[in-house]
Amino acid sequence: MSHFSPTAAVSYFFNYFLMKGVLVTIGLTVAAVVGGLILGMGIALLRMSSNPVLAGAARFYIWFFRGTPLLIQLVVIYSGLPQLGIKFSVITCALVGLILNEAAYLAEIVRSGFMAVSVGQREAAWALSLSPWVTFRRVTLPQAFRLMIPPLGNSINSLLKATSLASVISVEELMRRSDMLMQEHFQILEVYAAATAYYLILTSVWDAVQRRLEKHFGRSSAAKTRRVAASPPVAQASVEARA
Amino acid sequence: MSERSMARAEGATVQPQLREVPAVRMEAVYKHYGDFTALNEVDLKVAKGEKIVVCGPSGSGKSTLIRCINHIEKHDEGLIYVNGTELDRQRKNIDTVRRDTGMVFQSFNLFPHMTVLENCILAPMTVNGMSEAEAKDLAMHFLTKVRIPDQAEKFPGQLSGGQQQRVAIARALCMRPKIMLFDEPTSALDPEMVKEVLETMKKLAEEGMTMLCVTHEMGFAREVADRIVFMNEGRVVEQAAPEEFFENPKSERARAFLDQIIH
Repeated sequence: MSHFSPTAAVSYFFNYFLMKGVLVTIGLTVAAVVGGLILGMGIALLRMSSNPVLAGAARFYIWFFRGTPLLIQLVVIYSGLPQLGIKFSVITCALVGLILNEAAYLAEIVRSGFMAVSVGQREAAWALSLSPWVTFRRVTLPQAFRLMIPPLGNSINSLLKATSLASVISVEELMRRSDMLMQEHFQILEVYAAATAYYLILTSVWDAVQRRLEKHFGRSSAAKTRRVAASPPVAQASVEARA
Repeated sequence: MSERSMARAEGATVQPQLREVPAVRMEAVYKHYGDFTALNEVDLKVAKGEKIVVCGPSGSGKSTLIRCINHIEKHDEGLIYVNGTELDRQRKNIDTVRRDTGMVFQSFNLFPHMTVLENCILAPMTVNGMSEAEAKDLAMHFLTKVRIPDQAEKFPGQLSGGQQQRVAIARALCMRPKIMLFDEPTSALDPEMVKEVLETMKKLAEEGMTMLCVTHEMGFAREVADRIVFMNEGRVVEQAAPEEFFENPKSERARAFLDQIIH
């Protein structure tokens, strides 16, 4: 077989077995994002806490999970932990690994988002005697979230592709199923062309979602972003003068 | 209640205008930032309805002083009473004081992701439990008062600095505060917008609001203030009625300060 067969590639693309792998990839990504965001938010809050023990623990967590390869984390959870008598199903192993890893990155994104909201916003909320919950929910979170979307989008894009590492611990997601097809038919380029197309489609769909999110959360601040970012109120006034 | 009866009991010995619970009472207040002493044994008493202008060179503690009154800065030592409530770090008291006071900041600090109207109704609804309709009526009342009812649906970023600051005043008034604190409300504005904000503040003063303003606007101070509080290096150096302060400042430091700003 010395040539590339487009028909074979197309047929792999519509292969039911491969499509189910795509669904597993999507499932892993969504679950890891949701789990990672919840855990990451908690870690970010600890990291910002004034309690040095909590902040230190959060810092250690982030340092550890960002400082080691996801591949090692997955293998340790899947093959290493059973040695200590801790056993999970394959899918659980993959999810635990992906969530723990993703949370470390998202925690830093969440933290940077909150830190970028000016102190003045919190002071205004205090002065209005808003409760801590209302201040968080209505004042700081929406502003922080808007700032988090671009790095969040980046991280989720990485995560989507990183789920392919779960193939190593035999999770039958897109990558693993491509391998299986390839070993069966030896049409290496054709199979991986189909897989590549799926990854590109998934990341493109996510790009589109991210753009819509940015637009949605930026709508109120299209004019303002420039000014608040440029901060000196003198600049604000001059914008007005020109208008 | 007890505050009031205590004041009454002392009635024979204190001056008559102080028989009422003062709006603000500070006694030997200290505030430190590391080695820097921002407030150094500050005593201040503000009667209800009184208009105070706090001035002084930069770094003299003016902003810290008024920011301690609603506990945005926490004083280290001394006593602060606002409308008879002691700021003693009890959550309940801090909340009471913050409900009694409104604050206007140099940099406006409007919530940029909310419309003008949303900025104004957030606290009345979530803190005072008003219905949306009631809160909107209230907000429109105060937006009309600061003369920008037509901007209610706009976002702060679409307004000029002067308009934003007037929204900030309306937002504070929506909580029906008894005392208004102004922290250099016009310092961040272009000169042509200073006037509209000062006019709004004057109107508020005419209505009898108790006001403490940190400002460099000496024209405003002359016209509106009942008393000028001059600060330097964290201390209240001089307190006097505007005529007296401007014509005949007692301290060397105040004279030097006035020479510099009045040319």
